[in-house]
Amino acid sequence: MNSRTPRPRRRAARPQAFPFTAIVGQEEMKLALTLNVIDPRIGGVLVMGHRGTGKSTTVRALAEVLPSIERVRDDPYNRTAAEVIAEEQPRVGRRRMRPEELDIETVPVPVVDLPLGATEDRVCGTIDIEQALTSGVKAFEPGLLAQANRGFLYIDEVNLLDDHLVDVLLDVAASGRNVVEREGIGIRHPARFVLVGSGNPEEGELRPQLLDRFGLYARILTITELDARVEIVRRRRAFDDDPTAFFRRWNRSQRALQRTIVAARERLPGIVLPDTVLTDIARLCMQLDIDGHRGELTITRTAQAYAALQGDETVSREHVRAIVGLALRHRLRKDPLETLDPGEKIERELARVFGEDQAD
Amino acid sequence: MLRFTEIVGMDLARQAMLMLAVDPALGGVVVPAAVGSGKSTLARAFADLLPADCPFVELPLNVTEDRLIGGIDLEATLARGQRVVQRGLLAQADGGVLYIDAISLLDAGAVSQVVDAMSRGEVLVEREGLSEVHPARFMLVGTWDPGDGDVRMGLLDRVGLIVPLTGQGDWRARREIVSTVLAAARRGDGAEANSADEHDVGLALLREQLAAARTRLTDLELTSEQLEALVSAALSLGVEGNRADIFAARAARAAAALAGRDEVAEQDLETAIKLVLMPRATSVPDCEDDTSSPPETQAAGQESGDEGATPPEASADDTPDAATDRGADTLPEAADASPEDTPPASPPETADTAGPPDLLEDLLLEAEATEMPEDILTVSVAQRARSRAGSRGEALNSRRGRFVRARPGTAREGRIALIPTLLAAAPWQDSRREDAAARGRTLRTGLLIRGEDLRIRQFRDKSGTLFVFLVDASGSMALNRMRQAKGAVASLLQNAYVHRDQVALIAFRGQRAEVLLPPSQSVDRAKRELDVLPTGGGTPLASALHQGLEVARQARSRGISQVTFILITDGRGNIGLSQATDPSAPRPERAALEAEVAALAAATAGAGIATVVVDTQAKYLSRGEAERLAGQLQGRYFYLPNARAEQIVEAALG
Repeated sequence: MNSRTPRPRRRAARPQAFPFTAIVGQEEMKLALTLNVIDPRIGGVLVMGHRGTGKSTTVRALAEVLPSIERVRDDPYNRTAAEVIAEEQPRVGRRRMRPEELDIETVPVPVVDLPLGATEDRVCGTIDIEQALTSGVKAFEPGLLAQANRGFLYIDEVNLLDDHLVDVLLDVAASGRNVVEREGIGIRHPARFVLVGSGNPEEGELRPQLLDRFGLYARILTITELDARVEIVRRRRAFDDDPTAFFRRWNRSQRALQRTIVAARERLPGIVLPDTVLTDIARLCMQLDIDGHRGELTITRTAQAYAALQGDETVSREHVRAIVGLALRHRLRKDPLETLDPGEKIERELARVFGEDQAD
Repeated sequence: MLRFTEIVGMDLARQAMLMLAVDPALGGVVVPAAVGSGKSTLARAFADLLPADCPFVELPLNVTEDRLIGGIDLEATLARGQRVVQRGLLAQADGGVLYIDAISLLDAGAVSQVVDAMSRGEVLVEREGLSEVHPARFMLVGTWDPGDGDVRMGLLDRVGLIVPLTGQGDWRARREIVSTVLAAARRGDGAEANSADEHDVGLALLREQLAAARTRLTDLELTSEQLEALVSAALSLGVEGNRADIFAARAARAAAALAGRDEVAEQDLETAIKLVLMPRATSVPDCEDDTSSPPETQAAGQESGDEGATPPEASADDTPDAATDRGADTLPEAADASPEDTPPASPPETADTAGPPDLLEDLLLEAEATEMPEDILTVSVAQRARSRAGSRGEALNSRRGRFVRARPGTAREGRIALIPTLLAAAPWQDSRREDAAARGRTLRTGLLIRGEDLRIRQFRDKSGTLFVFLVDASGSMALNRMRQAKGAVASLLQNAYVHRDQVALIAFRGQRAEVLLPPSQSVDRAKRELDVLPTGGGTPLASALHQGLEVARQARSRGISQVTFILITDGRGNIGLSQATDPSAPRPERAALEAEVAALAAATAGAGIATVVVDTQAKYLSRGEAERLAGQLQGRYFYLPNARAEQIVEAALG
């Protein structure tokens, strides 16, 4: 791999993000995001709903409560030492690298924003034009998929994303690797990330294959409680007036949330999933006629992450109940005549599956 | 050009602009108004209110994505031998104004970019080897003629102040407008110097007033009661999201600051409601986007309890409608919901066209599962395939649309993609130089580019196809036929969704056809509209075709070239076009009715619109009207099959 240290991105002073913990309501979205931080294998979140409800504010706020990761210093793909060594091309006359030879640094989990206007070469990476022009050297300049490895990739208005970029995402999400074969270069690098998308369903539909890729689906509605809405306006005003001071005020709760997440991550590998719960999950998916096994898998992982977040050691039915809507809402068969809300349908089947057992 | 102080009329639009000048965090002002109302003059005059060095960037409708977002300035890059970045128009507007005239005609991709920049306050450039962030905090000023179609809700939502559509004003104001315009024209010849001075003084005073208002703004605070009043107004109007609440609070403060008050007063709240909340209302009849999703219903319900707290603008006559069940009885009003025809004059007119007698005939029918021949929609897909290269409407072409990638080609085939061309040439520079030197040719400095390096831009034409569903909801559609028709539309919609096409929904019943859903990609919205579509009354077939043609015309002006009508009817029109505009007009003779439909059908076929007629008439009653209509439209004819419908419903409902 022709890995040259990429140019540091020129960044102007970015606007301060709104604190995650200061966001009023929208618990479903916040929970879905938090669970993905605890276990990135859940497969991401699609946040769909009304305009102006803080969807992108919340996702962008997430960066501040994420834990950090260790990577090889300045590695453009955020790889661990083990990954770098595993991918090193063996060369004649050179011995294999050893982990202790690599300089390790701790960085925040990356959150990469994929704007709608991005071109394919910047998403996947391409030949470094400046080097190509000045020295005729074909060097690879990593793209957004490289930056997002081991982190989050966020697409606002994901339902408006161009089809050819959707194709790229589907490929990469399925394989966890980005393969670039263009302009005479051939590169493959790891690209595992938590995909987070948001949008308003009225602006357009999401391609079914992409919809299926998202682990969880959070639905956002306008808050209809007067007090909560008034509080939102107040907090926003305070934030706009002095973002730094506002952020300082929320610092303590931000750090507390971060600690909770870290503790849950540590607890996660030890979480027990009883067979009875697993049976419940499988039966529920059968009753709801869910295609494939991604549904079961997602519920299982999400329920474990939820149990870890709650500080429990064993997954219970209550954990499943709390997250099953998030995991299944977008997996129900699309039926043009269905008038029942997917959430209600899931609730109904849930009651049936859990209820039958009690009768047994 | 007229200066801001010289503009007469459009009081609310002027006030909105002054408020925006006081608090740019209001995001922007959009002004819908008919052609020639001076809206663009006003918008350009907005620059007068801002400091001299404040950027004012006008966005051309045909703007390309790289011009909008920015990219590498090739000429400068080559000249200096290092990369030079050209900021896009969005970034150029940073700290100032982005002005878009005819905003409803702006290409959907460009709209998304503008929305994205407003959402972030910056532009992320991730294009053609470039990765940069440019600040882009601007005020959006937009104007459009509602006759050209709607502005995407996602964009309107980011703009704080939405000026309600108003008429042309009274004759006094109109006369004054004419005389000021004439004066400005004379001033161009050097005459009327005095008047010019007068306005300069006026402008200077106005700027001072704005400066004072900006200072005052920082200390202005809404009381808890005032804030609650605004939010409960938003709730009762069914306003979506919290952004509007935030804008409304800002707007009230800006209005107070502008008026020179030290405290926010009742009329400032009214102004905020008028400019921020009312235009976003979803639970009053005369508004766009009248949907029936749960929270709005909840909001409407809440309203009946909160009436005391409702500020004056959500006036009493709106309240009962909003609070009633969103079933059949709110629908006749909702039929007038399309924003094209919401001048203040519309409510009384509505009452005429959908009076109580019609209500009694109205029947709300659920969709019934109906099998449709699979190839109905593929007809036009095939046509697309013929008319353009590529498949399924995602035609890749070399001229317009969104730049996707580059391919080798010659300059004659399309626009040259410079960066990819350079990339192709770059690795060969050394060898070419040696090669040329070996042949003893003198070399210019710079790149050696050969024909084989040339790369041509490939664009993806995103426009797709627009399916306009024209659904006959008249009384002559027997009950089960209507259910089947709804089922048919539902399954067709599902098909259109798979192909990511746009759909529009026009229903015709009673006196005239109504656009229930303007072109949209949302199958959900189409289904919702369909669910609550009542049946009954006459069959205004001519009006339906007429409306369909209008929708098609608007779509074409936005670059959607392929339009297909799906007409679901028994083909028995019995209401004339004249009756659509004047309910008291006499019903024309049968021959005249038929001639009218024939003429419109010919116009439809002449406009290159593909048509599918789905006949809903029971076989034994049919006199072949629908089939004849299909012939006149040069379209395809299907007889709606009713077999297996029940079984499918059973299976679907489990």
